Amino acid sequence: MKKWLITTMLLGLASLPAWGHRLDEYLQATIFSIEPGSVQATMRLVPGVAIAPAVIAMIDSNHDGVLSIEEQHRYAEGVLADLQLEEDGSRLSLNLTSATFSSIELMKQGNGEIELTFSAEQSVSRGEHLLTFANRHQSDISVYLVNSLVPEDKGLLLGKQIRNQNQSLYQVTLTETLGAPSQGFTLSGFDGAFRLGAHHIAQGTDHLLFLLTLLLPAPLLAFRGRWSGRATIRRSLTHILGIVTAFTLGHSLTLALSALGLFHLPGRPVEVLIAVSILVSALHAMRPIFPGRESIIAAFFGLIHGLAFASALNELGLTGWYRLVSLLGFNIGIEAMQLVVVSMTLPALLVLSCTERYSVLRMTGATFACVASCAWIAERVCDRANSIGYAIETLAHHGALLCVGLWICSAVAWMGCRHVPVVSNELALTIELIDR
Amino acid sequence: MLEITSGPRRFALALSVAVALCASCTAQQPVDQVVQSANKFLETLSEAKRSKVVYDFNDNAQRSKWSNFPTGFVPRGGISLKELSASEKAAALDLMKTVLSSRGYEKVTQIRMADDDFKTNGSKRGPRGGGPPPGGGPPPNGPGGPPPFGAGGPSRNGGPGGRPPQFGSDNMFGSDLYYISFLGKPSTTSPWMLQFGGHHLALNITIVGSKGIMTPSLTGAQPAVFKVDGKTIRPLGRESDEALTLLQSLDAKQRSQAVLSYKVADLVLGPGQDGKQISPEGLQVSAMNDKQKTLLLQVISEWAGIMNDSMASARMAQLKSELNDTWFAWSGATDLQVGTNINAYYRIQGPHLVIEYAPQSDEPTNHVHTIYRDPTNDYGQGAIEK
Repeated sequence: MKKWLITTMLLGLASLPAWGHRLDEYLQATIFSIEPGSVQATMRLVPGVAIAPAVIAMIDSNHDGVLSIEEQHRYAEGVLADLQLEEDGSRLSLNLTSATFSSIELMKQGNGEIELTFSAEQSVSRGEHLLTFANRHQSDISVYLVNSLVPEDKGLLLGKQIRNQNQSLYQVTLTETLGAPSQGFTLSGFDGAFRLGAHHIAQGTDHLLFLLTLLLPAPLLAFRGRWSGRATIRRSLTHILGIVTAFTLGHSLTLALSALGLFHLPGRPVEVLIAVSILVSALHAMRPIFPGRESIIAAFFGLIHGLAFASALNELGLTGWYRLVSLLGFNIGIEAMQLVVVSMTLPALLVLSCTERYSVLRMTGATFACVASCAWIAERVCDRANSIGYAIETLAHHGALLCVGLWICSAVAWMGCRHVPVVSNELALTIELIDR
Repeated sequence: MLEITSGPRRFALALSVAVALCASCTAQQPVDQVVQSANKFLETLSEAKRSKVVYDFNDNAQRSKWSNFPTGFVPRGGISLKELSASEKAAALDLMKTVLSSRGYEKVTQIRMADDDFKTNGSKRGPRGGGPPPGGGPPPNGPGGPPPFGAGGPSRNGGPGGRPPQFGSDNMFGSDLYYISFLGKPSTTSPWMLQFGGHHLALNITIVGSKGIMTPSLTGAQPAVFKVDGKTIRPLGRESDEALTLLQSLDAKQRSQAVLSYKVADLVLGPGQDGKQISPEGLQVSAMNDKQKTLLLQVISEWAGIMNDSMASARMAQLKSELNDTWFAWSGATDLQVGTNINAYYRIQGPHLVIEYAPQSDEPTNHVHTIYRDPTNDYGQGAIEK
């Protein structure tokens, strides 16, 4: 089908005025940015005017003349699937980090371009490594360019670059001279890792959603399979502290083990399990499944979340002492940001939980988490983005706004709604005993 | 009494000598002349036109609004020569003559002439090669066919299915579709910028004190060889000839390093690729002899020497001092003749320099794009920060 389209387009070329720019070629220019432990790349794809319609047709899969975000994403992932990056013969998985598309109109003029950025984890050991890159995207119409930037890290040297004639194959030798003691134990390493950790959890919508969903029913007591009655503030706080600590202990353990190279799990099952963890805590927020044992669940799923954190840390690609310092910085960064988020939302939750309207928030939150987790499970199992996932990411970018909204709701509910009486600690204990 | 009168007199004399000396010195300063002719040009303009030409110095959107494309496809800021009256245009070109060296100005003029030739004759490639501009014919494509040119562009001729812009159309090609713009106010002390560009030309000149920084800039031509009144014109002919002369001067071992084994289809660091320092390849200049180094400097001067001689000499001195850390790479045919345009790509790269010469695939010897950069000093940023 594609070939047929392209042939038609090329036949059509005969009737085109040659106005003097790229015509029947699909230029794909990749520039790698290689730093110790991480490989990032920017890829510009520029369809010539004669083949632009064929390229557009590949992207615009429903042929409605609009390149929707979903279509763009699908095409970008398709391009990535045509790429192959290997380090010392073993394939590195590529993560799309951004995709920018010109308008259809610009592309039709032969004047548009697509810019993709992607990253890959690279091993961190010292010595010489061979990085191999192959681009097979649309090889019958494409011309390729590949280059690497001079690394900012002076400990990493780019050696000889080898390409085949049309640059669809590229090899570069990396010499990692890191490990000189002077480069080891530095505060800047800690600082960078701290910021990475904080950034990771702030951007990691799924991690936060898991924790927040688990906290939703924390101020409540379960009785006969339903959430009913509220515990004293003190009891709620102790409970919440327990959950957060358990989550922290769980993910710290696997983060440390995995970051120190003691074991490794493939990324995708971990990502799927994380989405499952959200689903479980969302169902629990609707109807108590494991009342009183939230801390154990938090610790268990914390172990899984820690594995995902480890892969983010691995992007720094560090060795020895330097790695240990970074691990510490990264973990403290995660905890700090986690604490910030919890302390921003928790008071509002506690205030709300005193009112009869709390169940509305709990059910809304739980439903949202349910939908999000299902979307993520689908996305991660099929390895294909969906629109719900996109919507949630967009929403998550306005986290501060959501938080403000929560505070306003809690203030309004506090003033306007009936307050629920507190269940005393003794009664709560009794209820727990009966319920068991 | 005598002493009292002679004191002020002597002082006055000394002062007038000093003023005259200073005046004669400063009048010779090229940056003063540049600021003078810039202001002279701005004064010829009406308020409306002037507001079109002058942008805020911090207007980064305008700063990076340059391209190799025709202005009909990628509109530039500022005002085109076409929109200027005869006297305004003369003042604008006077300014360019002051900012640029005579060979730089000649290059710019010939690039503009090439666009006139393109407007008249079109591309030599394809079924219309060398023929008169298409026009009047029916739309070449029906629905579902190849894309109409200029959809959304200013030269859209309308009609179902669309029609391509015609080479004779007034707002796509031609030597008067070159735009001039300022960022900030011309000054001998605070930084400002002058941009001049259109199809196949983008000069981004940042003036910081007496320094003139012309990175990043782009030159190009299609046709890259044409005749005017029987005289052959090659706007970027010296770029082609001098680099080929350098290549031919290399011995077998040097050549095996300089000549890359792969094809380079286009500029690697074209428009939009600011600040990127790619890993250099080819032959390191430290392995060249003095004669070859002189030849290389000559090639470099085809870009660095576009600026007027006083501003270019500082830049050339910098590049000369880093020559041993500079690399020369060639991709494509080597059995070529000086005097005809090469169909090979080359790159010269140093710590503060990237030059790329990239023949375009549609007409390799008749269509070329080049780029001139200092990845550490885009738009004079490095000089301003100092």
